[in-house]
Amino acid sequence: MLGFIFKRVLAAIPVLFLVILITFVLVRLAPGGPFDEERNVPPQVLENLNKRYHLDDPIHVQFFDYLGNLLQGDFGPSYKYPNRSVTEIISSGVPVTMELGFYALIFAVFAGSLAGIFAALKPNSWRDYTPMSIAMIGICVPSFVMGPILVLIFGIWLNWLPVAGWGYAAYDKIIPTITLGATYAAYVARLTRGGMLEVLSQDYIRTARAKGLPEWKVILFHALRGGIAPVVAFLGPAAAGLLSGSFVVETIFQIPGIGRFFLQAAFNRDYTMILGTTVFFAGLIISFNLITDIVTVWLNPKLRKDAFEK
Amino acid sequence: MKNLYLLALFFLTLVACSDRTPTNVETGTENQILHIGNGDEPRELDPQLSTGSVESNIHKALYEGLTTRHPKTLEVLPGLAESWQISDDGKTYTFSLRTGALWSNGDPIVASDIAWSWQRSLMPKLASEWAYMKYYIKGAEAFNLSKTTDFSEVGIRVIDKHTIEVVLENPIDYFLQLLAHPSYYPVHPPTILAHGDMDQAISKWTRPENWVGNGPFTLETWSINKAIETKKNEQYWDSENVKLNGIHFYPITDQQAEVRAFRTGQIHLTYTPQLAIEKVAHYRENKPEKIRITPTYATYFYEFNTTKAPFDNALVRRAFALAIDRKAIVETITKAGEKPAYNLVPDDPNNYSPKQLFEYDPEEAKKLLAEAGYPDGANFPTVEILYNTQDNHRKVALAVQQMLAKNLNVQVSLLNQEWKVYLNSKRNLEHDIARAGWIADYLDPSNFLSILGSISGNNDTGWKNQQYDDIIAELKKTTNKQERHVLFDRANALLIEEMPVIPVYMYSDVNLVLPEVKGWYDNVMHLHPYQRVYLEKGSK
Amino acid sequence: MSDSTIEQGTSLWQDALRRLAKNKLAMSGLFFLLFLIVVSLLTPFIAPYSYETQDLYKGATPPSFEHWFGTDVLGRDQLTRVMYGSRISLMVGFVATSVALIIGVLWGTIAGYLGGRVDTFMMRVVDILYALPFSIFIILLTVVFGRSMLLLFLAIGAVEWLTMARIIRSQVMSIKKQEYVESAISIGLSRTHIIFRYLIPNAIGPIIVYTTLTIPSVILLESFLSFLGLGIQPPQSSWGSLISYGVETMEEYPWLLIFPGLVLSLTLFSLNFLGDGLRDALDPKVSKD
Repeated sequence: MLGFIFKRVLAAIPVLFLVILITFVLVRLAPGGPFDEERNVPPQVLENLNKRYHLDDPIHVQFFDYLGNLLQGDFGPSYKYPNRSVTEIISSGVPVTMELGFYALIFAVFAGSLAGIFAALKPNSWRDYTPMSIAMIGICVPSFVMGPILVLIFGIWLNWLPVAGWGYAAYDKIIPTITLGATYAAYVARLTRGGMLEVLSQDYIRTARAKGLPEWKVILFHALRGGIAPVVAFLGPAAAGLLSGSFVVETIFQIPGIGRFFLQAAFNRDYTMILGTTVFFAGLIISFNLITDIVTVWLNPKLRKDAFEK
Repeated sequence: MKNLYLLALFFLTLVACSDRTPTNVETGTENQILHIGNGDEPRELDPQLSTGSVESNIHKALYEGLTTRHPKTLEVLPGLAESWQISDDGKTYTFSLRTGALWSNGDPIVASDIAWSWQRSLMPKLASEWAYMKYYIKGAEAFNLSKTTDFSEVGIRVIDKHTIEVVLENPIDYFLQLLAHPSYYPVHPPTILAHGDMDQAISKWTRPENWVGNGPFTLETWSINKAIETKKNEQYWDSENVKLNGIHFYPITDQQAEVRAFRTGQIHLTYTPQLAIEKVAHYRENKPEKIRITPTYATYFYEFNTTKAPFDNALVRRAFALAIDRKAIVETITKAGEKPAYNLVPDDPNNYSPKQLFEYDPEEAKKLLAEAGYPDGANFPTVEILYNTQDNHRKVALAVQQMLAKNLNVQVSLLNQEWKVYLNSKRNLEHDIARAGWIADYLDPSNFLSILGSISGNNDTGWKNQQYDDIIAELKKTTNKQERHVLFDRANALLIEEMPVIPVYMYSDVNLVLPEVKGWYDNVMHLHPYQRVYLEKGSK
Repeated sequence: MSDSTIEQGTSLWQDALRRLAKNKLAMSGLFFLLFLIVVSLLTPFIAPYSYETQDLYKGATPPSFEHWFGTDVLGRDQLTRVMYGSRISLMVGFVATSVALIIGVLWGTIAGYLGGRVDTFMMRVVDILYALPFSIFIILLTVVFGRSMLLLFLAIGAVEWLTMARIIRSQVMSIKKQEYVESAISIGLSRTHIIFRYLIPNAIGPIIVYTTLTIPSVILLESFLSFLGLGIQPPQSSWGSLISYGVETMEEYPWLLIFPGLVLSLTLFSLNFLGDGLRDALDPKVSKD
């Protein structure tokens, strides 16, 4: 088990290196530089700006400088926000985004799997169609539509919940969490339903039922473990998607997370910020996928032997 | 499952019934704290480093220049300088500073602080993007471009503790206006030096714990993407007349989110220049007391690429300009009180307004196009309108596309690009027609006219005209108002004849402002000095 | 059904089709989709108005007898725009999802089946692609290749296959431990045979579910790409762009959001009913009941 994890962590190093290298090249190939604005900066000033950030060095020198600094935990200065370092901006936004993503994930897993199990128990009845239709609506309605609609109803018309913010006023985390989590909840619901249907027709469930176990025990202790496997595989990408996709929700609700910077940095051609956020998200994605793989293997006894004993 | 519904219902009722906490606006109005929706996270709070209106809006609270502007009439008023003298040739300005003026930490503000600040902003290594605003000062350009390293060659001289003298390259009558611009704001030398070199851009001196300034407000907190909070500066020379106890700025990037924040009482006013068009119509009809629409000194126009066919032909360019129904655009698309523009230079009710030399005339446009060799649009190549991705630009481009098809029978396609890609394409003259806009830094037509000079870095048309360059050069030397107006007229006439750009409309600023915000006047520069603003509950 | 087709494979498919035909929901989904496809193909002939003709002074009128779905802010008929939008959105939805499906399923199956180093390598490639900043990638694509529909499909397919690959891989990993696959391996069947005959067919459930989920997200992703300058340009319309414009004005002109939103939702419902029906029909275990 430990060996497996160790190997995967080792494998992450070349992955990260390639991500940095490719991103480094990509951002510099993109047209427009960090200092291009509506008003043209005089060439002399531009030259000095480039000098300020060592953008006039040969590109390979820049790359190795960057790597060197990165190894010391320094992501460099932001070009867009000259008096902030990328490290500072990331560390101010990450806890917020993580919290938002965490709540959204919890919401997605609970609401989604509940609805999925409920639907799978009586397939093709109203008890199946109702939660599945709600889930479908969750998928159809993207967050950039869902957010404004929820705000309009609960924030403006009913005046029950705050329309923006994160921890500024009571209950202001509810709408953003639902907005971000809804799509994923719907996915989870559908995947759970599919997985449960698959499992419920398997022999061992019939055996369990034949032994006269109460239905809820069958579901909870026997079926769920297998039925939730597709959901688990989905959770890795979902968690990463929740975090990197949080920019829409962060923008709509004025939440000071890192997602907004992730997108804005690309538009600003803020090279160091793009790299910083990318490296950060790459690390997250790799860890989530690793966790997913571990859980997948753990859920499936047959795989467990193979993977961990090698 | 049923229990879950009940639980949810219970929870929602709980939320609904709980005591509503008072909104920002309610507590703010009570305590004289103004809450402003300010568009975006500011890049910087160092006035010599930033370039945008988001930053300027905050700088105006934190710093003050030698002059200020009257909030209603924009007349230049004494600021940090109590008075000034101008030499007969209009080139030498001598300013007397206020003797009692203090920095927010209690240090007196002396003439050498001003000179030091201006020198700093011109230091090549600082690479201030606004340094060009000081090129009117003798020798400043040479110093900024590293042609000389001797600052004594620059026309800025400290006479004594409270007197500073500025010598200009050419006499310009808007220099006093410039002094009220953020790029001329002074900064506190000891604070900057405590956190780095004079010309070091990356510095922590603007953090709230380090910051020192001289404006009516002081910097209290700066949380990334959350809020900037300022407090009344008791050291400010005129603090007894400042009624607000503080201003809070919120970086709300999304227009819709900003409107929601306004509607739910989170902010007193929106300070971003553009409001979603549909909201404008709604507010004009239903809540006219909350919406402010002001024509501004800014133009929306289309730039031709005059270096390649078919737009290397002035007849074609004129034909296009005449085929656009500007009235329909401002009445049905932008709908926020914009005025149709027939000149690059916008109208200025107090000074110079250019004459209208042409009008919407599809028949004449057709004739011009035929004259250029494309009768009824025959053989005219498909051309492209380039714009940066934004809803307004898209709608205007769509309307223009239709007008050109209808009036000239030419095929136009649209191309939207992401902001920086768009800037790049336009600068490299890869476009046929590109949308553009220009907002003035100060009230003078030369602001707009100089864009199209052949050496201008902002001329994305490829159009070069010796006669025009001569007029621009002459304008720089001319101070006489009458003579200047003659030159403006000549430049405008030349632009209409050659039509390197099509003026479309003059922008207007649309902001939502609660009626309880007093002392907030509308003006063409969109300047709202905070010194005299206060909050007062409606008498309803 | 003709008598000559007694071959086992064929009759399995025919069984499935028969089961599908009995599923009313799935069939109504199928019919709605067919209806949409026919409408979108015929749009140039049957659309009530032109999709680009504006009537500026009649902008944003609510639904009426003349304009069933109302008009947009430039006075264009919304019904026509939704109809033209369906041409683009359906094409994007189906083609880009197919691209994602083919790459994702093959990649995931091969990685999951072969395991070991190949798996590690293939999944690390997925990790890298996941991590790259997508918007920069798209901006570059627009600059290097200009805009074309083909590019749009590739760009969308290129991101959407990643999740597909991960899900399929985990599914395949558990399927390959089932007895029937192990026995197929032991009797020496070729890898291709095992992959196409045993692994993919048995992972068909999650594949169908995930595909039906991918189509809507692809349709909406298209509007973000056109924001970045890739894909369709105005005055053309797509459901994604109609919806994103509609959100901005949902309070003032709700019909601009409701109609394209409704059509998109109905499409997704149909897709899912059809997908579920197909899954149930193809699932050999259900067929035993």
